[in-house]
Amino acid sequence: MSTTSQKHRNFVSEPMADKPVMALAGIGDRLGHSLTEQGYDKAYVVLGQFLLLRKDTELFCYWLKDVTAANRKQADDCAQCLKDWCDAFL
Amino acid sequence: MSFVEDPGHLSKSRLKSDLVAHKVELPPAGSKKEAYVALHLRHVDQTNAANFSSDEDDQELGVAGGDPGSAEELDPSALTDNDLKALLFKYGVKAGPILASTRAVYENKLRKLLQSAGEGESNEAENAVLYSDSDEEDVREENEDEEKELEGAQEKKAEALEPNQQQSDEMESWSAPSACSYSMPEHWSRSSRLDNDAEDKDIIVDQADTPKDSTCVKEIKDPGRDILKDLLADTKASPTGIYATPRRPIKGAALRPVQYAYPDTPVSPTTLERQEVQRRLVPVYVQVLVFFAVACILFLIFVNVEDTNSVVDLLESLSQGPDGDDERLDAASGEL
Repeated sequence: MSTTSQKHRNFVSEPMADKPVMALAGIGDRLGHSLTEQGYDKAYVVLGQFLLLRKDTELFCYWLKDVTAANRKQADDCAQCLKDWCDAFL
Repeated sequence: MSFVEDPGHLSKSRLKSDLVAHKVELPPAGSKKEAYVALHLRHVDQTNAANFSSDEDDQELGVAGGDPGSAEELDPSALTDNDLKALLFKYGVKAGPILASTRAVYENKLRKLLQSAGEGESNEAENAVLYSDSDEEDVREENEDEEKELEGAQEKKAEALEPNQQQSDEMESWSAPSACSYSMPEHWSRSSRLDNDAEDKDIIVDQADTPKDSTCVKEIKDPGRDILKDLLADTKASPTGIYATPRRPIKGAALRPVQYAYPDTPVSPTTLERQEVQRRLVPVYVQVLVFFAVACILFLIFVNVEDTNSVVDLLESLSQGPDGDDERLDAASGEL
């Protein structure tokens, strides 16, 4: 099992409700602002994008790196966080 | 038939993304589709016309769903949504809705697939040499099953007969020029297999040995330059969507026993529950039997201890109902 960050565990432990996009694992201030500017201001909007890509982490990583200046690790963390959340709550 | 797009049939978002891709200024946000169509006709079709003269054959092939190799010249951004989806499906990628936000992602994905398909084609014949060394799944089924088995048979035979470092070093030296990370899991998995599956291997070796001895040597003789390309190309070139990452241990190819990294039987939660319930059922039966046994014993005792009169009273009162029971109890206790 890969180790998960505290942020990941916090996010996956409960329904995301109205959490801001910076609550996602891998998304810090910089990426968070970048996403907010593009209209992805809440975590559920990013979740929507993840679901549109059929919960494919690889495609989601492409998308995130395309839309923001995310590096591979950040994108992977975010994708994995969303995937785990979906496994738990969706 | 039309790789020639009919803009009127395209969705508005598709038209928008097309225009953006061709660096055409978008009409104001509230415009009707016709504005997009008109712009599209003017600009995009011009560029397509320029391409058509040289690429017509290739594009037609692409439309007909022809050779993926020749589709290298396809421009994913010039495809319609449906064509893009179909092409992705051909590569084993089930695409979701292709919208403005997802289109770029799918185009990227298709480009990567086209590139790796282009590389993969040239090396397809030699893939078997590597796959049997490294792969755990039967990713390539076409020609390589036999070759894989040959390769694997040779390996296993070598291992079984001389289960020592020599062979594994030899194997590693073959793959050494390609990727260190690749050879390490091989070695690791090989040793773990040795530990666990000694018995099975003998059987496997016997099976594999018989038909394929002579051809084995041929196959292995030429690992060299192809290993590198195949190894690195492997990770992406998987038209079936099954990814064979080199880091995984060797398992399950051809005749080899399969070791799951997870518990042996992939058990669903419902199966687990059922198993648990079944386990509990045994004591339940025991409890029921014991209950009936005790009831019978009590009844017999009661019958034997009491006089026959009270037994008759008992039987009569049972048919009378609850009130009768009280009387009977008093009568029984009185008689005692």
